[in-house]
Amino acid sequence: MTGAPAHAASGATVSGSGRATGFGLLLVALGWEAAARALSGAFVLAAPSEVAVYLVENRGLMLRALGETLSNAAAGFVIGNVAALFLAGIALIWPRSERIVLGVALVVFCLPLVATGPILRVIFGPGDGPQIALAALAVYYTTLIPLLVGLRAAPSAWFDLIRSYGRGAFAALVHIRLMASLPYLFSGLQIAAPAAFLGAMVGEFTGAERGMGVLTIRAMRALDVEMTWALATVATAVAALAYLGVGALAQHVLRDAPPIILAPPRADIRVETHLSRLGDSVFGVSAAILVLWWGAIAVFNLNTFFAKTPDDVLRALVWAPDAAQTRAILLAALSETAVFLVPGYFAGLAAGAGLAILFVLVPAIAGTAMPVAIALRSVPIVTSAPLIVLLLGRGAVATVVLVAVMIFFPTLVACIHGLRQAPGQVIDVFDSYAASRVQRLLRVHIPAMLPAFFAAARMGVPTSVLAVTVVEWLATGNGIGSLMALSASLSDYDLLWSAVALVSALSALGYSGVGLIEARVLRVYAPEQLA
Amino acid sequence: MAHNFDGPPGVTCAGLAKVWPDGLEAVRPTDLSFAPGQTTALVGPSGCGKSTILRLIAGLEIPTAGRIEIGGQPPSEMLRQAGLSVAFQDPSLLPWRSVRGNIELALLLARRKVDRDAIDQLIALVGLEGFAETRPAELSGGMRQRAAIARALATEPRLLLLDEPFGAVDELTRRQLAQDLPSIWEARGTTTILVTHSVIEAVMLSDRVIVLSPRPAGIVLDIAVDLQRPRVPEDTRRPEFGALVDAIFEALALGMVPRDRLQARQ
Repeated sequence: MTGAPAHAASGATVSGSGRATGFGLLLVALGWEAAARALSGAFVLAAPSEVAVYLVENRGLMLRALGETLSNAAAGFVIGNVAALFLAGIALIWPRSERIVLGVALVVFCLPLVATGPILRVIFGPGDGPQIALAALAVYYTTLIPLLVGLRAAPSAWFDLIRSYGRGAFAALVHIRLMASLPYLFSGLQIAAPAAFLGAMVGEFTGAERGMGVLTIRAMRALDVEMTWALATVATAVAALAYLGVGALAQHVLRDAPPIILAPPRADIRVETHLSRLGDSVFGVSAAILVLWWGAIAVFNLNTFFAKTPDDVLRALVWAPDAAQTRAILLAALSETAVFLVPGYFAGLAAGAGLAILFVLVPAIAGTAMPVAIALRSVPIVTSAPLIVLLLGRGAVATVVLVAVMIFFPTLVACIHGLRQAPGQVIDVFDSYAASRVQRLLRVHIPAMLPAFFAAARMGVPTSVLAVTVVEWLATGNGIGSLMALSASLSDYDLLWSAVALVSALSALGYSGVGLIEARVLRVYAPEQLA
Repeated sequence: MAHNFDGPPGVTCAGLAKVWPDGLEAVRPTDLSFAPGQTTALVGPSGCGKSTILRLIAGLEIPTAGRIEIGGQPPSEMLRQAGLSVAFQDPSLLPWRSVRGNIELALLLARRKVDRDAIDQLIALVGLEGFAETRPAELSGGMRQRAAIARALATEPRLLLLDEPFGAVDELTRRQLAQDLPSIWEARGTTTILVTHSVIEAVMLSDRVIVLSPRPAGIVLDIAVDLQRPRVPEDTRRPEFGALVDAIFEALALGMVPRDRLQARQ
């Protein structure tokens, strides 16, 4: 669930290098086995051989759980992507609505799954509802953004051609926009596939009866090392296969069209370039969110005991007798979380971009490492969280590392893709002056990488919030993630809804803030991205 | 692909002017008229606004002032009937369609019948035999432009607008096209407006050449080309041809003067 438009064509780069992938995965497996042997007795790491034995012995249980989670993820995948198509349609037909649609979509995407899970559980009751809803929520935004870019990814001359035969917007949609958007749509679907699996697993944490998520909770509570690693292996394999599978499908469907037809607007094209316009958007989006919030509670006639209106949240935070205390609790939790989130976020970005640059300087390692990185980028947070806790304990380091890891892989993949966008002719010019590798890197590759880097940095904001809240909830028991889980289980819904509102708003603002910096930087280095 | 319109339309522009939203004056108020069935070349320095005039006539831009009539009707009416074709400077072929597919798309958009044989003939005319099923990405720049010309001819337009259609075409093919294309639009009686910066090409193809000044475009010279058709490459060596070319070059140079003086004053 990351830098969606940034590496639209990465699926195309995967399957061509089967041997390198196999080699890379073999190295990972060998290192893992060796580490497990070295650490045997510490009860933190199960070796691949032990995982394999566990999986064979418990295949019935695993397959049932996997089937359950997969069917929920598939339902959520379909619903979320249909919603994305619908929203893109609205934005296309009524361009003025686009900023509001995108803003609302962003805030909803930033809702912390940790809190929406329990709320959805109360609304849906027992059953598959929350799992499917969370899977849908996890995918729609990463499809919507590249799709909107793709629907516009055509030169104006093509539209002139349509007009010169006296035809209008509908013909342009059918003959140009839909075709031009296909590669972008598939890049979104590719990221959506593992994200839906993750969403379904988080949904299962909230009191489902069956599924991979239920087993993960059970394994963590029991400190069952082999089961934890076995679940993580299966979840990772499924997520990576879903990612690669959609990529292969895209290659098949798009065989006739190049993966990205033009020098694509890789970055989100609707980046706000002026603070004043951002202010307008914030106002419009806030108004729309409030209307939707109130409207949903009224339309679905939700019980006011747990369904809190914006009015309730405002009262809890401002007017209520204990408002000061509520604010203090939230602020303490938020600052506790920020201590993990901020260093993890920047460390992940720096490591991802840094390693990508290293790959350019030493191309030999890229062939092996890249496919592994692409596979690992889809590791669900809910599986890596228990592993890192097993390895590093429940302290601050584990949380920071986890956030960094969640940011690292998508950033790495996006940056490598961005680095490859460096224009060949410009590199030829540099070569003709016998420029050094470092000069070439600084003046050609890194500027070419920036749009992809910023796309990853933007998507990294909600991702890091998701990572930190999940790990706080599952493992460390502090910060805003734990507070939300606690208030859900104590039915302190005023506090829960206040926390959700604050976290979503901060996350969406962080995303927009990165977008603002992005616009400033790209205006210098890649002005065509902001057209 | 017969259609029930009357003959080729004349085009008249009265007081035509275009100022871009940023205040840049692309075309200063100009009167232009193009006789039915004639081929007229607009010649001028790069960026002088000649493409803008073409886009205004095609109805792709709205003039800031003035009026355009094609066969006595506004351009929008011509668009509605799909009676004109533009060959753009950028070939603008859709990358997911073959050469044939791109030509078929034009027929589809213009609501004309798709005639496979007619398309094959057009593809042969522009020298792309054997490339009908090829996608634009596999064609050279010149081949793409030729495909775009074939597409523009496919709908049998009554008004054909060509914007630097041979820019990337190699010299030999260009000569061949300059010989073959006029015979087509003559046989069909198409009114043709050609934007080019090649003086030789303008004289070779046209019945009339209009020389434009640097931006904002205005008329510097309006000269008839009274050379017999069909014309062949050897005609370029004839004295009448040379005289026309000289006159046009002189007008182009003359057109440059005011701007030079303007710059000197600044």
